[in-house]
Amino acid sequence: MNQFVYLTFDGLSRGAVYAAFALALVLIWRAARIVNFAQGAMAVAAVYVAYSVTSATGSYWLGFVAALVAGLALGVIVERVVMRFVDHSSPLNGVVVALGLVLVIQGVLGIVYGSEFHPVETPFSRDAFEIGGIALLSRYDLFVFAAVGAVVASLTLLFTRTPIGLRMRAAAFAPDVSRLLGVSVGGMLTLGWALASAVGSLAGMLVVPTELGLHPTAMDVVFISAFTAAVVGGLDSPIGAVTGGLIVGLLLSYVSGYVEPTVAPMAVLLLLVVVLLGKPGGLFSSSKARVA
Amino acid sequence: MATGELNLHHIGVRFGGLVALDDVSLRVAPGKVVGVIGPNGAGKTTLFNVISGFVTPSDGSLTLDGKPWRPRPHRLSGLGIARTLQGVGQFGGMTVLENVMVGVRGRRAEAEAFAALDRCGVAQYAAVRPGTLPYAIRKRVELARALASKPRILMLDEPAGGLDTDEIRWLGDLIRGELIKDSGTTVLLVEHHMDLVMSVCDEILVLDFGKPIALGTPGEISTNERVTEAYLGAPA
Repeated sequence: MNQFVYLTFDGLSRGAVYAAFALALVLIWRAARIVNFAQGAMAVAAVYVAYSVTSATGSYWLGFVAALVAGLALGVIVERVVMRFVDHSSPLNGVVVALGLVLVIQGVLGIVYGSEFHPVETPFSRDAFEIGGIALLSRYDLFVFAAVGAVVASLTLLFTRTPIGLRMRAAAFAPDVSRLLGVSVGGMLTLGWALASAVGSLAGMLVVPTELGLHPTAMDVVFISAFTAAVVGGLDSPIGAVTGGLIVGLLLSYVSGYVEPTVAPMAVLLLLVVVLLGKPGGLFSSSKARVA
Repeated sequence: MATGELNLHHIGVRFGGLVALDDVSLRVAPGKVVGVIGPNGAGKTTLFNVISGFVTPSDGSLTLDGKPWRPRPHRLSGLGIARTLQGVGQFGGMTVLENVMVGVRGRRAEAEAFAALDRCGVAQYAAVRPGTLPYAIRKRVELARALASKPRILMLDEPAGGLDTDEIRWLGDLIRGELIKDSGTTVLLVEHHMDLVMSVCDEILVLDFGKPIALGTPGEISTNERVTEAYLGAPA
């Protein structure tokens, strides 16, 4: 029982990060109908910026803010300089360009920072509180929940309560109609990429210290889990991304705890296959058929 | 100074080998209702797409308020130009009110959007998703969305399509009454429903296979032999 409680909290904490990362994938899918396979590499680049700033100033929080700003900037650059010029007649084009971006970003990071793992500090202790002899959550886990919760709440408010969020939804749903209503569709697309990239960077900041450390490929495995989370939830659904993230986090934790940690990534792939075979639109998808 | 004056000078549009519009000139005077009619495929919607900036003309030019003008879709709203679409084109994931609010700027966006729905008699559907509503109601929502931005030039693309006689009468009253007399809006109307066109338009342009074949008042158009030929075929 103790182990089950511990694994559940551990899974929810991991899942919260996957949820944030999956949310970043969903944001771009909704805005541009592209699965951004470069999201992991972009997030790692932002974490490297944080690493540089924190190393130079000694402040974790300055690095944290720098990562989010770098994420926003990287999102703008990737959309304006690269993705805007991708021919969208086939969905594969965007995927291939995104995979190319992964190679470029990881290559540049390797040249600048080297390819060894850099340990990354956390702002709070990762030692779990014990209540009644059961290890529950650490301060860092609480920080992760608070950060992801704040992102989900902010995005929900943005999209449902603000004019700019309304226009972002409109631009994604029917670009030509939106243009006639005075919406700058290109601007909304850039904003979508910037927001998604910043959310992905936040997820990177939260997850990298809990893994092996900072490395150009540090987010590759996380990307697979987050992608699975987004697909499980339905790529169109922000609520689905969050739920999918928590499901994947719990699955990884239970399989690691009860079976064998090395089997856990395979369990994620198995979940991906089962969902794609059984409910390819995801658990929260609308009835509309997916085209890509 | 007159505002809302739109001029088309010798507009031509070619799609590959197909001539969609050929030497079309038209002056839309401020505060007037100008109709564009013609059989299917005559180029009416292409003409609207030129004015909306979705299609770049191969020949000719446009002026707005006397100045040379190259339309861009997302700039129309800022220039006081609104357009409805043939299909209703509403955002399915949003409520009716949100659909209208997308096109309204400023702090009072919600109130103004609601007022536009009220003017079109559909305020009671504000919280409903448009996909669940009957077609005629959605057409009214579409009109409300165009009116909410308080346009000085309103382009209506087949607003009467799918409406019954009472609805069309209401539409005619709206165009001739509140829109024109009260606010001086310039209206450009593409429509198949002849009763509506004849009752609301000050001037009518008739297109056939992309070519302008007649321009005149409803009285002149209704007795024009070339127009009758275009619609009914040449007499044997």
